[in-house]
Amino acid sequence: MKKPLDEKELTAQAKALFDDSVERLDAATLSRLNRGRQQALKEIREPGSGGEWARWVPAGGLAAAAVVAVVVWQGASVEHVTPPAGTVTDFEIILSEDSLDMLEDLEFYSWMDMASLEPEGDVG
Amino acid sequence: MTACAGIFAVSCSGEQPKEAMTLQRERQLNQFLAGVERRALRFAEIAVRDRDEALDLVQDAMIKLARNYAGHPEEEWTPLFYRILQNGIRDWHRRQMVRNRVMVWFGRSSAAEDDYDPVAQAPDPMGRTPDEQIEARQAMQKLEHAVAGLPARQREAFMLRTFEGLDVAATATAMGCSEGSVKTHYSRAIHTLRDMLGEHWQ
Repeated sequence: MKKPLDEKELTAQAKALFDDSVERLDAATLSRLNRGRQQALKEIREPGSGGEWARWVPAGGLAAAAVVAVVVWQGASVEHVTPPAGTVTDFEIILSEDSLDMLEDLEFYSWMDMASLEPEGDVG
Repeated sequence: MTACAGIFAVSCSGEQPKEAMTLQRERQLNQFLAGVERRALRFAEIAVRDRDEALDLVQDAMIKLARNYAGHPEEEWTPLFYRILQNGIRDWHRRQMVRNRVMVWFGRSSAAEDDYDPVAQAPDPMGRTPDEQIEARQAMQKLEHAVAGLPARQREAFMLRTFEGLDVAATATAMGCSEGSVKTHYSRAIHTLRDMLGEHWQ
């Protein structure tokens, strides 16, 4: 009967397997890593070039979602039409594409869901 | 003329060393990142169980290291890089938890993640037989599954110490905790893994 692995055997085997899996990374993955590295190195040549604009993406997503929310809400109040059931899903898609941070705003979703369930006369 | 030449010389002597230093730093950082990126990718992939997400996390860590710590001594880069990567992984897990809660709230599930196979279907560089390759992949899958199942701090300590070969001090820097905590987390991780993998592993 084999005895259980001791710490040295366990770590040695784990490291060997890990190293093996590193060696087997495919060319497409290595290429993406290389591109990522070049992007990072641009930060030394041109500080702030790699992703300054990207910091505004979440804010842009929020602004876009807010605009859509206002349009839907205003449209509903003027024409007395309940927002379509898919609206919440659309918001979810918009937000998940732009910034996962937005998903933390559960109160907003809660409000959206409640708004879509309100009877026609209560909306707006 | 002489004055102009003098000014030019001063200007050049001020510019060239700076440019040369930037180039040298860039070369050093390139070398460092090229040496660490593959392992970092697998490291992140085991933690998040998704290659695309892992690639994004590694790229973010590389950019943040270059942006904020390129001027630090080279020997500090490894623990700093892994600290940034760890923070990214922790943030990813937090966002994922929130996302899963929202998905449940909207009546969706993310069951497809269970089907993820982290071992790429690439040719074997060591020239092993298909059976040997399958055995190694199965063993790695078991290991990844077991490591992914560890509590976060134990997983970090185990991966940094075992896979990356960091010493206790560097691991403590990378994890942002004391050396004593590293030893405790690492010891518990080894104990748990021995139980989970059992005597038939490998």
